[in-house]
Formats: sequence, C-alpha cells, structure tokens
Amino acid sequence: MSTLSELAVAVEGGKRNDAKLITQALLEQGLKPLAIVEQGLVPGMASIGEKFKNNEVFVPEMLIAARAMKECMGILEPLLAAAGIKPKYTAVIGTVQGDLHDIGKNLVAMMLKGANFGIVDLGTNVAPDKFVAAAREHGAQLICLSALLTTTMPAMKLTVQAVRAAGLTSAKIMVGGAPVTQEYSDEIGADGYSQDAASAVDLALRLAEAC
Amino acid sequence: MERSYYIGLAEGGLRMPIGTHLVLHEAADVAAIELDGARLGDMVVRAAGRFNTPLAVPLMDLKLEKEALLAARGIAAAEIESFHFSGLPGAAPDFTLTPRMRATCEAIRHVAKHPGLVPMGMGIGPFSLMTKLIGDPITPVFLAGTGVTAAEDPEVALIERVVELGTELLLHYYSAQIDAGAKAIIVCEPAANLVYFSPNQLANGYDIFDRYVTAPMRRIKALFDARGVDLVFHDCGELTTGMIGRFVTLDPAMLSFGCSRLLWEDAALLPKSIVLYGNLPTKRFPASQLSVADVERLARELLDKMHATGHPFILGSECDVLSVPGSEREIMAKVEAFMKC
Repeated sequence: MSTLSELAVAVEGGKRNDAKLITQALLEQGLKPLAIVEQGLVPGMASIGEKFKNNEVFVPEMLIAARAMKECMGILEPLLAAAGIKPKYTAVIGTVQGDLHDIGKNLVAMMLKGANFGIVDLGTNVAPDKFVAAAREHGAQLICLSALLTTTMPAMKLTVQAVRAAGLTSAKIMVGGAPVTQEYSDEIGADGYSQDAASAVDLALRLAEAC
Repeated sequence: MERSYYIGLAEGGLRMPIGTHLVLHEAADVAAIELDGARLGDMVVRAAGRFNTPLAVPLMDLKLEKEALLAARGIAAAEIESFHFSGLPGAAPDFTLTPRMRATCEAIRHVAKHPGLVPMGMGIGPFSLMTKLIGDPITPVFLAGTGVTAAEDPEVALIERVVELGTELLLHYYSAQIDAGAKAIIVCEPAANLVYFSPNQLANGYDIFDRYVTAPMRRIKALFDARGVDLVFHDCGELTTGMIGRFVTLDPAMLSFGCSRLLWEDAALLPKSIVLYGNLPTKRFPASQLSVADVERLARELLDKMHATGHPFILGSECDVLSVPGSEREIMAKVEAFMKC
C-alpha cells in the first residue's frame, strides 16, 4: 500500500516513474486528487525548496523534482478539472521584454505550481501589455517578472508602470532575477522581491493572501 | 605571445573594463556599425584608447554563434532567437560566417593594423552555446551525470549532438578570427556553472563537467596552440573550486571570473603563469544603490588583497560592461572610478 509520504519522497528525489506509480496507486486506493496534490506533491516540492534555500540541493535537483511533480500532475489535473477544483491563486509569470532567459522564471513557475498556484506562463521577451492582458484575463492575484540582464531591467520598470496604469489594483507584482535587488524592486514600485525560487513561494503566498 | 607579456601588463598596474559595448553605444547607428568591420574595428580601437589598454577587446555578443548555427540549417531569421532543437539534428552542414561574424573578423583585421594593440577575438564556449539551443539543457546534463547514456535517453543524445555541432562551428569561427589576425581569443563559458551542474553530483567526480565543458574546450585550445594564439577564458557564472581546477588545466593566459568569486582565494588555485582578471560587480553598475564611492572601495580592497597574494592580476569588470539606456553616465562614472584606483 502506497502512502502520501512515499509520494513526497519520490517527488523530492526526482523519481518520476516511482512518483507516477505511487500517484496511480493512491488514486486506486480511493484518495481524492486534491489530497494527493496537497498532502503528497506540495510537501515534496516544499521540502526540496527548503533544501534549495539552504544550499543543500541545487537547480538540477530542483528541476528533476519538478519534472516528477509535473508527471504526477499530468495524471491528476484532468481529474481535478473534472471535479471543478481550481487552484486557490493564479500567477502570471514571464521574463520581461528583451530578455530571453528562462531558467529562473521556469524555476519560480515550477515552485509556485508545486505550491498549488495556477500558473499562466507567458514565456520570455514579454511586452508589458501582454502581462496586463493576461493578468486581467485570468484574474491573477500575482504578476511575476523575471530579468537576467542589466540591460533589460528597465523593461521591468516599464511593466510595473503598465500594470499600475491599467488599474489592476487586485494584482501584486513580484520581481526577481540575477541583477535585481530589493532596492531596485522598491525603486520601481514592485510589491515584492525574491532572491531565489524557494523564497519566491513564501513571498507569493504572502502577497496573494494580502490581495 | 609570451606569457610574460600579460604578466607584464598585470605588474604594470593595468586596469580595464571589458568596455567596447559602452563605447559602441555612444554612436547613433549601432546596428550599422555592427555590420561594418572597419567601423566596428574603429570602435574597438577607440575603446582600447579610452581605457588605456593595449588589449583590443571585441564586442561581446554571445548570440552570434547560435544565429550562425541555425542559419546554416535554414532556420528563418525571425525564429532564431527563440528556437530550440526538439529533435536530434542531422550532421553538421557547411558553416558560413554570418554578416555579424564577418564584421567581427574584419574588425580584428582592422585592429591588427594598429601598432601597440593586441588584436583579440571573442566568442562563446561549446557548452554555453549548447544551452542556448536546447529548451531544458539542465535536466539531461544531470541525467547524464547519473550514468544515463545517449542510447538510453533522447535528451542526453540531443545535448551530446548539439555540443558536438557547436564545437565544429566554433572551431570554424575561431579559425576565421585567427586568420584575421587575432593573437588572443576570449572564450566565454558563462553557463559552465552550478546552475547547470549540481555540486552534489560533482562531489562524486567531475566526469560530467569534463565531458561537456573541458573536453570540447580542449579541442578549441588545441586549435589555439597550433596557431600560436592565447586563450583568455571567461566564466562569470557561479563556480565551484573544482570547476576552476578544470579551467586551469586548459592553461589559459588569463582567467576572468564573475564577482561571486573571491579572487584572492582563487589565486592559490592557479599557477602564476595565469593572470587573473576581474571582477568588480559591473552588472550592478547601473544601480544607483552602488555608489561611485562603493566602487572605489571595492576596487581598493580587491587591489590590496590581490597584491598580498603576489599573483599577477588585472583589475577589471566581472563581465562586459553593458551600456544601459538612461544609466550611461552612472555606469561610465563607476568605470572611471575604478580605473583611477
């Protein structure tokens, strides 16, 4: 008999085949899909996220874990959708205009998904108006902006300005990326800054709950 | 060139940024200059003069090689920036230098006419090029490190094929730069870092790092050695000490690291025949929170600590210093500040 804690361990260890088998087994045992997400997948990702924050594991291990979680979500999402269950919060995420880097953005997206956020991933090189349109369309509580280049940081500022100008008062903006700092976040009027993907989850939850 | 040349520059107190981007972007028609070898060469000469260095450093644009590799395979120009291989690409086509690459080579030829300047080449490393060509390169690199082979996993097969294709292209491009007169070439491998390689995995051995980073670089170094050209190896990513040990085996004339490294500690890992270059936090220069006084303080601290090691050292930037619209004066003021230290 499989357990939720075994699922969490399989996800954390990036054992995607094991994680899929356990997910199937848990469903066959009669567990609800939402319980499998909340008590199996989310703790697994939270655990590896904590280790990432403490430099005990690194980006490759995070991606392997996220891949395992994604495989499980592939089984669970149709069941969740059929039951009309939606994530509590929605985040729109993208790398700002002019910037094609996506590792950091993808990591944050995976971590947020692992924390049961609905994710609208706009990809890279995203214009300010696309962030605005997507946030409005999906009723997002969060808009997450990533930039890796010094030269594209001004696009982050323009995006914040565009969101404010559009009057999306219910959406909080969080920013991150190698050259971005708390000071820069404050300077451009973002609602929060996170220095790594694991910390981004804590910040996202705090901001979303404040919406 | 003799190693004593670079060591002499270090001993002479040379300070310099990788600053051609700054100078180029003072011009109104940047895109036109980038395609005009003579004008681009003039910019490199002007940058060397501005920063009072004999090392004529080209523009660092690490997108050129991806563009060339994909253009040779018939990928439309509009798709190149976001293109990633999803399936195994076929054998290497005949590579043709793109207009930007031809201009880079012509610029080197132009610089070579100026006595007193060392014409330098520039380009990306094979591993970093691969990471630009595959959507998720990290997962298969990690899997390969666990022992998964190309025969067992198509993603592992893909990274191995793309590293091979990229290395072939780079050998072609660097040969063209050498033909144009480059005496030293800066090879940039910023992706060879602990985002792409887990230190946990490397703790069990550097086989995977050697396979995808060091071995392809050795092929490039062999070309440089055969043609009498010096390697300047640049990696501004976050590194492990073991990675630095691997870079040292390439026997570069100079090593350039990002600001995450404490160069005065790294100096102990290097023979004194390798000059250390860097590594002021120039990516933060556009931010007003880092003041000119901060830069001066960081520069003096670095100079003092490097002086104490006795290791040949050139004070400079952690990467190329980019011109950021609206922050040009702020950035240049900080560059000038460390140049005076």
